[in-house]
Amino acid sequence: MDIARRRVGVEGRVSHVDYQVEYELGEREWRDVYLDYRQFKAVQVRGGVFKLPFGLDENTSPTNLDFVYRARISARLAPGRDRGVSVHGKVLKGGVISYEGGIFGGDGDNARPGSSQRVFGKRTMAARVLAHPFRGSKSFLSSLQFGGAVTGSEVPLGFPAIRARTVFGESFYDSDLWVYGHRQRTGLEVRWQPRRASLQAEYIRLSDERRGQSVEDGDLTPLVAQGWYASGTYALTRKRNRLGLLEAAARYETLSFGSRSRGVEPSTSARADAVLGNLLRVTTLGVNWQPNRWVKLQANLIREAIGSPSMGPSPEQAAFWSRVFRLQLTL
Amino acid sequence: MIRVILLFVLLAPTVARAQSSDEFFDGRTLHEIHLYVHSRDLAELRARYWEELYVPADFEWRGIRVRNVGVRVRGLATRSDIKMGLRIDFNRYTAAQAFLGMSALILDNALKDPSLLRERISMAFIKRMGQPAPRESFGRVYINGSYEGLYTLVEAVDSAFLARELGDGLGYLFEHRFIGGFYGEFLGEDYAPYKLRFEAKTHELEGEYTLYAPIRELFREVNQDVDSVWRERVSWFVDLPQVVTHVAIETFLAEWDGFLGGSGMANFYLYRPVQTNVHRLIAWDRDTTFQDPETRLFDRVAENALMSRALRFSDLRTLFLDVLESCARSAAQDQWLENEIAGAHQLIRDAAYADNGKPSSNEEYETAIAHLMSFAQRRPAFVLDEVAKSR
Repeated sequence: MDIARRRVGVEGRVSHVDYQVEYELGEREWRDVYLDYRQFKAVQVRGGVFKLPFGLDENTSPTNLDFVYRARISARLAPGRDRGVSVHGKVLKGGVISYEGGIFGGDGDNARPGSSQRVFGKRTMAARVLAHPFRGSKSFLSSLQFGGAVTGSEVPLGFPAIRARTVFGESFYDSDLWVYGHRQRTGLEVRWQPRRASLQAEYIRLSDERRGQSVEDGDLTPLVAQGWYASGTYALTRKRNRLGLLEAAARYETLSFGSRSRGVEPSTSARADAVLGNLLRVTTLGVNWQPNRWVKLQANLIREAIGSPSMGPSPEQAAFWSRVFRLQLTL
Repeated sequence: MIRVILLFVLLAPTVARAQSSDEFFDGRTLHEIHLYVHSRDLAELRARYWEELYVPADFEWRGIRVRNVGVRVRGLATRSDIKMGLRIDFNRYTAAQAFLGMSALILDNALKDPSLLRERISMAFIKRMGQPAPRESFGRVYINGSYEGLYTLVEAVDSAFLARELGDGLGYLFEHRFIGGFYGEFLGEDYAPYKLRFEAKTHELEGEYTLYAPIRELFREVNQDVDSVWRERVSWFVDLPQVVTHVAIETFLAEWDGFLGGSGMANFYLYRPVQTNVHRLIAWDRDTTFQDPETRLFDRVAENALMSRALRFSDLRTLFLDVLESCARSAAQDQWLENEIAGAHQLIRDAAYADNGKPSSNEEYETAIAHLMSFAQRRPAFVLDEVAKSR
């Protein structure tokens, strides 16, 4: 049994300024700490520590997640939180387009090094644009939203701190490869919630330049980590049912690490142009039960399959199953 | 004309592939090896030359470029950050990658040998005497285009070597690690001291009992007191005639850092086929041969637990003397040893002169060559005379 999150916080509004302060008791660290000036719908300004505008799943509150764990690309490739300032708002016909763009001190806590020798992105620009083309209409597409996001930062010389990990944190690929240069993330996302169902999908690609890192001090092709997921839920009961909300959920996702180079023998060398990468495929089946607004129970059956199991936690085993239960209490 | 050009174009890749390891180890050719190492890795390799640090590199010979090889500094007394002795592992970062069928290659810096010849000439002689020995040749080695020095290119002793030389590459191979003062005593029941001295190079993942029990038993039997059963029991664990032959060749070469090394046993591999417990010796690192041409035949035999007992048996003593006599006659036949030294000297002279990392001046190099020539001329007669006296 593991207590994943124990957070206390306050949030509220004073005049045109929203504020939020949240502290993680388990890890003893501040989470969201920011002020958000929201006088105008089209242009609002936020400053402090908060999540970079990148990633649909990553920017979904933990209380609203459809699965016990976020998708691998969200946990590993999306930036997460950092100190920064952003401008955001909704424009065009009542907010058909929403946007957020900002500048941050680093490229998020998901990319932070676990050891001091590993490197991450320094000052980071991030932007995300979402379209809700049918917002406010009576069409069955009214809930459809899609969009894209990018981040850009410079990574100093070193091994990248972004690591390949299974759902339960086991390594399936050692990113002991020299990187130096520009880091770019690109994300695409779509979400649609027709009646009792919900569908969402996301793609994230992260590339790190390797300037001057070949054995002859020349450039290597960038390292690329990428993946996608598609997930859906279906409400088996209506919310006002006395049983509460019961829904079934399923998700399929991939996360791969490698390099852009093709056509030559891949290698585990820290200076290989064609990197011997690895791929993780995860299938999750779940049931969510929310008997009331304070309690949520989730049960997930997870199958993980590793492309090259020799790099994984169990070299003889390419695929393994896990079961997870989660009780969420929200006050 | 078009047909001729097309034919040439079609043949060219085939010619490149046709390079073989025999050509690479052709002792009549001075090869050129290029290594490409990132400047940062190279600085780190030199700074941490005493560690077993591997860095990635590209290896090139005659236009064949092997990418993503692993390189580390090697050697014990010859470790240097100036003229680094190097081990190249072709498959360290790319599984199953090989160069001319080899998974590894040694670039021997010959820092203990002012003549730079001893290693290659000695191994050629051991092979001439019918014992397995790594193939060797000479090469100019360049790192990032800069001349590092003249090296002896040495085939690694591994499964491929064993398969070719012994017709069996499946057995247990151990590299003797010199930690000094080991003359073949029984080291006790625990496997640890054996493991310390004999590093498993094949079957590394097998248990200590499988790997080290036969070695422990070998040294237990070597040191047991009962003469009447000594030979039978020791023969369960070592090929005594082969060991005697190996040591006799070393003795002819006046090696002072071999199986009868002055500071204990040194510079050999131990090999044991899968279906038996009988070990045999394989020669390694022969850059301290050709010492005094009047080195006595039984020097240091008494210090070694195995050889001192083995040579009490008349047939093994006769074998020892027979092999020494054969060595002397073979070295002198058509002035083979002199010609080998002269030919090799002619081949490497310019490269040796240009080698600023060698341990000696050019004058000392010439003096060392003169000593080798003198050895080649005097040693056979001295050995024949000593053998005759010893019979």
